[in-house]
Amino acid sequence: MIEIEKTGKPAIPIVSGRFEEDAIASSRAFAMPDLQFVIVPRIYRNLAPDLCISQTEAVIDDIIEVLTVDQGHTRRERDTTTAIERFEGEDRWDAILKMNEQWLLRDWGDSLVLHPPTPEAVAELVDGTGLDRDDLVCDMPPGFGLATVEKIAINAAMAGAKPEQMPVIIAAVKALSEVGEHGGKSLLMSTSPHAPMLVVNGPIAKEMGINPRSGLGPGRDNEVNITIGRAFSLCLRNLGYWYPGQMDMDTIGTTRKFVHCIAENEEMSPWQPLHVDQGFGPDESTVSVFITDGELDIQDQGNTSAEALLKNLAYGSTFGTMGLGSANGSERLIFMPPDVARPVGGQGFSKQEAKQFIHYHANHSLGKLIQYMPIDDARVGKQWSWLEGLTEQERLDITVPLLESVDRWHIVVVGADRAKTLVMPTGEGITTVGIDQYR
Amino acid sequence: MHLLEVLNPIGQQRGLMNSLKISPRPDTLDNKIVGLIWSGTHGGDLALNRTGEMIKERFDNVTVNFYTGGNYPTPPPIVQQAAKECDVVIGATAD
Repeated sequence: MIEIEKTGKPAIPIVSGRFEEDAIASSRAFAMPDLQFVIVPRIYRNLAPDLCISQTEAVIDDIIEVLTVDQGHTRRERDTTTAIERFEGEDRWDAILKMNEQWLLRDWGDSLVLHPPTPEAVAELVDGTGLDRDDLVCDMPPGFGLATVEKIAINAAMAGAKPEQMPVIIAAVKALSEVGEHGGKSLLMSTSPHAPMLVVNGPIAKEMGINPRSGLGPGRDNEVNITIGRAFSLCLRNLGYWYPGQMDMDTIGTTRKFVHCIAENEEMSPWQPLHVDQGFGPDESTVSVFITDGELDIQDQGNTSAEALLKNLAYGSTFGTMGLGSANGSERLIFMPPDVARPVGGQGFSKQEAKQFIHYHANHSLGKLIQYMPIDDARVGKQWSWLEGLTEQERLDITVPLLESVDRWHIVVVGADRAKTLVMPTGEGITTVGIDQYR
Repeated sequence: MHLLEVLNPIGQQRGLMNSLKISPRPDTLDNKIVGLIWSGTHGGDLALNRTGEMIKERFDNVTVNFYTGGNYPTPPPIVQQAAKECDVVIGATAD
């Protein structure tokens, strides 16, 4: 609608109620903060036809009014002008609590206690990089706030980050901005729980103590993982405007939005690491961003041959749905533990061969994979029109590869001892950014 | 008493640095061409078509054009076509 308004023609979207804040936030992000729209109570997508029509009829006066009457008002913009905020308390702790109370009300935090980003704390973090505080790293999606080194440092300070962690955090912010066409904007703003996952490779992971073993959970061993992930997720909120109910529109939500950071277990991998696959040298350090949409533990209770381990992994990966658009963009990220990767590699499989084997065996019933969308939906690609003449049972009886090609599978060796693989649906491929340039 | 000074964590939005105003509105939809852009999602077409019908009932000599690219987001050429051919446009989004 904004693109049409830019041509001088009035254009309005009909927006369902839960998306009012999203519409306002998006109009700000895309440079037309006063875009007019009309609200209906319910989302059309799963609404019965008579209700689709009746809730539209109820707002026809609103539609005509916003198309023909100059509303003559402007929406109040978020106040970002105050460089320094002041909080008074009986003592320092009381003042920190007051800051937390106010900032959580503004949704600037994650509901855990925020460290105070004092000028001194932020200056220390800025000194952790070779950049100047005013240097612009990127416009951070999905809301495209300016991610300067200082603003990243402020959010990192709130997470309790240390100066040496800053290059990783900056690289992660930069990497997100390079995901897909618009920094993964569509995925981040989806009503499905898409969330970034950070994977660190290279010498810095060990230097910094990023846990490559049971690294996605809580606890002392994961303090660095958690802190980097938290700093990144606060940047996503306060620089990317990824606020729940505004530009983060999850239906249920996910704990993966407390963004996870982990290192590849390079020492225990039989293969070259992810960042070398991505074109970096083994002595370089990188962070890679995946946009994940769920996770499933695939356990193995005693297989030892490469073929048996990989078949189990392939069969376990065949959950979820397949894309029915013009292309099937579904992908899978495999966090493969050493107890799977080492026997597979040791028995002669390269990483690429392991992916080919998994792709060959990861098949499923077409009817089950496409049940989520009626076959007559306008978004179904023309290449699927042949399905319209089939019965449901005929569709169920057809077996297809889960993913479009072997390149849609990604393997990262992660984890402690035990053959428990974590598989995550992902989208938009891998984006990898070098960390050393920010040290 | 303790005074705590902290730095504001919010990044200025690029979109608000060069923001645009919305277009002038026509006084009436009489004799106008109304574009409907459908993102392809279930039910949005029903809403837009009913909207077009009701506008035709209320105003004289209205033409309604329906556009879709079959999926979200609507391809730019279709958006540009709607902008070129119509006086006002209605879409169903976040639907």
